[in-house]
Amino acid sequence: MTAAPSEHAVCLGCGCACDDIVVTVAGARITTATNACMLGVAWYGDGVVPARVMVAGAAAKLDTAVRRVAELLVKGPSLVYLAPDLTTEAQREAIALADLAGARLDSVTSDTAAPGILAGQRRGRATATLGEIRNRADLLVFWAVDPGVRYPRYLSRYALNPTGTHLPAGGSGRTVVAVDVGPSRGPAEATTRVVLTPSDEAAALGVMRATVSGRELSGLSPELRAAGDLARQMTRARYVAIVHDAESGSEAADPQRAEGLVGLAQALNGPTRCALSSLRGGGNRSGADAATTWQTGFPFAVDFSPGFPRYRPDEPASVVLGTVASVLIVGTANRLPAAVAAALVGRRSAVVGPRASEAPFATDVAIDTGVAGIHEAGVAYRMDDVPLPVDRLVPGPAEAATIIRSIAAALAKAARR
Amino acid sequence: MTGERLRIAGGTVHDPANGADGEVRDVCIEDGRIVASVPAGAPVLDARGMVVMPGGVDIHAHFASSSCNHARRLLPEDHAGDPVPAPVLLDSEGPARSGTGGTLPSTFATGYRYAGLGYTTAFDAAVAPLMARHTHAELDDTPVLDAGCFALMGNDEYLLRQIAAGERGRVGDYVAWLLGATGAYAVKVVNPGGIEAWKSGQRNLTNVDQALGNSKVTPRAILETLADAANGLRLPHPIHIHGNNLGQAGNSATTLATMQALAGRRAHFTHLQFHCYGGGGGAPWSSAAASVIEHVNSHPEHSADVGQVMFGPATTVTADGPVEYLLYSTSGRKWVNIDVELETGCGIVPYSYKEKAAVATLQWAVGLELFLLARDPWRVVLSTDHPNGGSFLSYPALIQLLMDRSARDEQLKRANPRLLAGSALADGLAREYTLNEIAIVTRAGPARLLGLADKGHLGVGADADVTIYSPDADLAKMFASPRYVLKAGQLVVEEGQLRRAPKGRRLHLRPGFDDAVLRDVRRHFDAYGTVAFDNYAVRHVPDEPVRIAP
Repeated sequence: MTAAPSEHAVCLGCGCACDDIVVTVAGARITTATNACMLGVAWYGDGVVPARVMVAGAAAKLDTAVRRVAELLVKGPSLVYLAPDLTTEAQREAIALADLAGARLDSVTSDTAAPGILAGQRRGRATATLGEIRNRADLLVFWAVDPGVRYPRYLSRYALNPTGTHLPAGGSGRTVVAVDVGPSRGPAEATTRVVLTPSDEAAALGVMRATVSGRELSGLSPELRAAGDLARQMTRARYVAIVHDAESGSEAADPQRAEGLVGLAQALNGPTRCALSSLRGGGNRSGADAATTWQTGFPFAVDFSPGFPRYRPDEPASVVLGTVASVLIVGTANRLPAAVAAALVGRRSAVVGPRASEAPFATDVAIDTGVAGIHEAGVAYRMDDVPLPVDRLVPGPAEAATIIRSIAAALAKAARR
Repeated sequence: MTGERLRIAGGTVHDPANGADGEVRDVCIEDGRIVASVPAGAPVLDARGMVVMPGGVDIHAHFASSSCNHARRLLPEDHAGDPVPAPVLLDSEGPARSGTGGTLPSTFATGYRYAGLGYTTAFDAAVAPLMARHTHAELDDTPVLDAGCFALMGNDEYLLRQIAAGERGRVGDYVAWLLGATGAYAVKVVNPGGIEAWKSGQRNLTNVDQALGNSKVTPRAILETLADAANGLRLPHPIHIHGNNLGQAGNSATTLATMQALAGRRAHFTHLQFHCYGGGGGAPWSSAAASVIEHVNSHPEHSADVGQVMFGPATTVTADGPVEYLLYSTSGRKWVNIDVELETGCGIVPYSYKEKAAVATLQWAVGLELFLLARDPWRVVLSTDHPNGGSFLSYPALIQLLMDRSARDEQLKRANPRLLAGSALADGLAREYTLNEIAIVTRAGPARLLGLADKGHLGVGADADVTIYSPDADLAKMFASPRYVLKAGQLVVEEGQLRRAPKGRRLHLRPGFDDAVLRDVRRHFDAYGTVAFDNYAVRHVPDEPVRIAP
């Protein structure tokens, strides 16, 4: 039987969170995901996920598995880790569980997007939601990123082509510049390119900021002169969007890049207007940052062991894993940062999340749940912190939030004994 | 004492909405509401010698929004300095939550701390409609408080287009739809037109008749249109206005022009202190509180909350992007700006009001002058614009300043007097607020201004939100640590300790409207939005909407 298509499904395949996906379902399987990009099509798949409960590699009852997870947490010290594909409702329950357990709490962010967030905590930031970029930005500067690779519809939905309130002609009203840093190149659609070696990047950002502030620098290399020229071009635009990849990529980025871009975007708001657009990956990772912030005051890397939240951004999850006795991963365990996946080897672990029973490492407990936005309804955040509703499109296993609440109840009971 | 019935016996009751000014009598509760009496065998809470008031009502604070969360993210050092271990609740309550404090506490800590102050109702005063879903999630995690939010309008592209096209007629339906779609309680206007000017390169609008770009849109037109829409819809609270030119020397002229533009229309002017400065144009800053409060005194259709500045740390967080840019560029502190598509903005700068700073002292004095020169406490109520002028935790210290002239004088001696020439406060304002006036400006008045018929009083049928204080010569201490707090009839604070943390109620509206307007709004979304119209409205707002009186 074919159900009526969902007209405005939200795809969490990347942080774009495109909400124009038309999903058709037949016999509890997804048959098409129209408008989705390649990443999105892969993320939706056919919507079929396992629904197993495993303890020590064998099938088990749910309440047995829940008790075993609680036992791991009560022994401590533990890490509760927010992996992708959770609704924010489930993330909130997982943070509560970590608080109750006096555990470490972390998310994908600490091993991926932390440098940008830490730079923002030092300096602040000037940014905008994606619709402002679409409606206003007449100069787009892609800094060492081609969104087409990991954020395939960013250009078509938010940046390059669409018309906007202040850009009635759409693409023809925009100027696109690529800043290529070593092998990290901007999009092919750019009409101007500035080429930097990785060793010149921090200096180029310094030159640009100085230029924006009205200082004339002399004796610059041709590369840095080009960077200064770009800065002057930016000051003449009406609204500048600087786009960079906040996630870690295959190429190591200069750790000063995030701070340099934050400072440049802020400085540009003197002579003109500017927003820094930070690209984030999928699976509602911005939601994990948001919920962790409102419940603890800190966006990631939280230590509840003192009896209150303490911020430990200097110890990402990949490091903490070397110090805890067990880890509870909540979310999709096969979409973890490489450093975290490597640090998991040999750890006592439980996984509650989509395809937990197919985790690429040995688990003490695995409880399969559905995927946010495919099997589970709730809220998920776009890369720019805009919250969106996600729907249940096909039936799935028990909901992650419900299972986490059960673990918390079992933990409270175990702690009382 | 968690039964459905309770007699609060023998307290000294301050219930100004019902004419009780220090009356010794019982207050009876059944099923979460105030009743005339309960049977003789009902549990009794002995309140003899204690002061009994309705639960506090905060008409204007920032504690549950996307902007607040960006501010929290910006301030790890602020949180690290104020850890909040989980309170020890009664066993039946289950585990409580830990958190952090500082100028913008985490959500659970916010609920606990408000309750610990005896406040049981609060409104987040500035929520971008696009982010309303976030606010409701935060409110879900903010226990005890009955809470709601105000939806930001006045820089929204759709509204501005209607005004530019002379289509003010459909604005009422649009406003009604937007309030329902966001689960909001009131219309909030911040720097009308000025945020759009900031985003579009015009930088700001600085008087009520300055046009936005080449259009016919002015702050005056925006305010008139939204005031008429809100009043036409009979919203329980009128438009809640943060005017143009906040925080600028000489801005009282703009404030008075704004008020005069709305003379005859119901309107609420928020954090008025930040809009009452003289000087400018080369002249030094000065207080213009007297002239502005005189307008409020003589216009019963207008009301205000003060937005008192308290010395100490603060975080400025507002939709008013241009004012935060100015603060950033003059203070050199860290700064967040977020332009929110088609609607509004957000700016954040951490700040500190130092008693040795002349402008901070002037701001402190202006706020107190507004309080002390206001003739009708029902229309000029207490706020610090938390966390902009100071934390809500500073309310007890503010109450002390209002009730005790010597406390004001002592503070004044320590402060920088450079800009206080002509200040009524410096010249000696003798007025001291009574307990009844405190009850008005902290609960009865805000509830009445918000149109909350069941809040802010202890009459039969009211929500049984009650705060009981032990009298203390140290007024700040007395108001900081209520002996008992009841929320919907349930004791949440006992002997000064938080013992229960129930979920609060969501206060929101769903006004009726002609849905013909939605065809046009949907076209607008399709043309310029990045969120589908069908995904825009908040789908699950808890609790039934507050009924709008016909």
